[in-house]
Amino acid sequence: MGEGVFISGLGLISAIGNNVAEAYHHLSNAKTGIGKINHLQTRYKDEYVLGEVKLSNNDLMDFISHHSPLLNRTSLLGIAAAREAVLHSGIDLKDGLRTGLISSTTVAGMCKTELFFNDMIEKNEHLEILDTHDCGESTEEIADYLGVKDYVTTISTACSSAANAIMLGSRMIKHGMLDRVIVGGVDSLSKFTFNGFNTLMILDKEWCKPFDENRKGLNLGEAGAFVVIESESALKKRNGKALAQVMGYANTNDAYHQTASSPDGSGATKAIQLALQMSGLNASQIDYINMHGTGTPNNDLSESKAAINVFGNNVPKFSSTKSFTGHTLAAAAGVEAVISILSILNNKIFPNLNFTTPISEFKLTPVTKVTDAEIKNVLSNSFGFGGNCSSLIFSKV
Amino acid sequence: MTKKAYIIGSGSISPQNTIDENWFFEKINPVHIDFFSALEPSYKEHIAPNMLRRMGRAIKMGVTAANMAVVDAKVQNVDAIISGTGLGCFEDSEKFLLAIINNKEQFLTPTSFIQSTHNTVGSQIALIMKCYDYNFTYVHRGFSFETCVMDALMQMEEGKQTILIGGIEEHTPMYVELLRRSKKFSSNNSHQYYEGKTKGIQMGEGSTFFVLSDTKKNACSCIEGISFSYKPKSTEEILSAITNLLKTHQTSLEKIDVVLMGFSGDQQFDNYLLELLPQVSKTSATAHFKQLCGEYHTAGAFGTWVANKIIEKQNVPEAIKINSLTKSTINTVLIINAYMGINYSFTLLSKC
Repeated sequence: MGEGVFISGLGLISAIGNNVAEAYHHLSNAKTGIGKINHLQTRYKDEYVLGEVKLSNNDLMDFISHHSPLLNRTSLLGIAAAREAVLHSGIDLKDGLRTGLISSTTVAGMCKTELFFNDMIEKNEHLEILDTHDCGESTEEIADYLGVKDYVTTISTACSSAANAIMLGSRMIKHGMLDRVIVGGVDSLSKFTFNGFNTLMILDKEWCKPFDENRKGLNLGEAGAFVVIESESALKKRNGKALAQVMGYANTNDAYHQTASSPDGSGATKAIQLALQMSGLNASQIDYINMHGTGTPNNDLSESKAAINVFGNNVPKFSSTKSFTGHTLAAAAGVEAVISILSILNNKIFPNLNFTTPISEFKLTPVTKVTDAEIKNVLSNSFGFGGNCSSLIFSKV
Repeated sequence: MTKKAYIIGSGSISPQNTIDENWFFEKINPVHIDFFSALEPSYKEHIAPNMLRRMGRAIKMGVTAANMAVVDAKVQNVDAIISGTGLGCFEDSEKFLLAIINNKEQFLTPTSFIQSTHNTVGSQIALIMKCYDYNFTYVHRGFSFETCVMDALMQMEEGKQTILIGGIEEHTPMYVELLRRSKKFSSNNSHQYYEGKTKGIQMGEGSTFFVLSDTKKNACSCIEGISFSYKPKSTEEILSAITNLLKTHQTSLEKIDVVLMGFSGDQQFDNYLLELLPQVSKTSATAHFKQLCGEYHTAGAFGTWVANKIIEKQNVPEAIKINSLTKSTINTVLIINAYMGINYSFTLLSKC
């Protein structure tokens, strides 16, 4: 059904740099961005590592040349990444084609609310922050900064959010509702999410070790990550250049537990199978899987099982690049879409850092060194609280 | 898109007596000071006690309204669950945030954090119904519920047959207090929002779900289409969005039987809708709904419930009427909803 959907621009700000070029430099030199805490104001500052964006909020305002006291870190990261994606694609938002923005977030304005909530209650101050707390706010800040008018919406399905933004955007293009869409996600670090994951006891105090037998948990990160997707005809009309094609996607629910993935990986298995089915590709044509790979005992076990369910003894080369960026929650699938497309464009697999011992049940070994290989089709997985499972397939053009 | 979404079941928890399935605007509950609280049902009839104990209010309201809709539709399962919420599970977010602040990031327990995630309602419904299919949560202000409608129409086109959609919003005493201090509330008691004389808004809450089907069986009405306008700069811009939507469905504004308006009650946000009103009142019966449910991100779900009832009963109740124009048959209802002068949406329903 409908037209082909092509990716024409990438934008990323994360722990591995303020733009896609810096991210590529880190990735191809196996250099992580996860480190000591500089910005997040937490009592655990010296105990944990995080994937922080290196710029402060003031630096970010300079970076996007937009200074407004009401802009929170979520909006700032979103603007930085979405702007880069639009500039990279070369689209002109005033050329009369219909452009939408579909963003996703879980933290939204909480990064600021948590700093001033007490003042609101005790001192009656900073009440204007109430209007910037909700998830839609950052999306509208991004839309207004870029001048997107035709369609805006926001998705929040925990750690699979940005994958679903890419999915909805692709569907709207196929249905002929929009000509192109800026899709992705953004989450900034907050005490709220940091302490939340800490109470769940799934944070590793040191660098995370996805798919390692001795993995202890995840490292949280923050990022803004967007890609521009366009219909084939919109791309032709402006003589634009496609970087990759969105070939398949699927969204399923594990319906097993509010925060845990099923041990048999059923939701993830179904998502991967349905995405493959849509793409028309055989399992053997997947050259690389960018795994969700959070580094928690539960996720990596369930995801390994799902990979074996689908690919049997021939699991493609895979890695979790969360060992570079940390787990950036709603933005994660956006970050990993950018990384997957960098793999396709450069015929390189970026490694799974900090891995030494395979999980005993499966003996699956990820790619641990920067590896040159012909990459035509990439599968990218993202799963989240609430049983949300999403898989995307990107292909070379 | 050519497929219609037939409404085969609905369930609503609102400040009015919508939990009684026979209620049709007979007795209207007045506003409580400056916000509307939902009239909540006995949850234990809908949710297992072991689950109920831990659930926050938004989750209870969401899961229950969803269950009411599923029971009403007499279906066992659905092919997709699509939820909308502007603020998500606010009570749990507030609880966890206050615990972080008061205990200086120590001695925290995960329950309220787990439940604070915006997609909790959608995923709890999936868990209870054992629905392994498509599950999305939209969180975009006044588009949150309306994006569910759009997505459901797309899903029908893509082959799904039965879809559960809904909007959920809760408020907490603390949130209401902070809004009061920020002077966003209405200071007068008039509910004649359409006269354009009222200032401030009256906050509301509630949860409304629908089961949509791709076939007509057991349905009185269907959703034909929806469109959006983000930060329009004039009434003309809104009118042109409406005209385009109606044209797609082979109709026009003067042929619409009932126009249901989502005035917020604050004239500064309602100015475009107020300008539009005299024009639509010439040819359509006009009514409004937020004086019954209050203003909130997903109030449009309640508006859709009202529109569906109007078609089912073939009657525009006195309690919501703006003009006195009557139609012998109500074939079409157009909902014109707006949130804070930012998010405008237009939903076309028809009799089937």
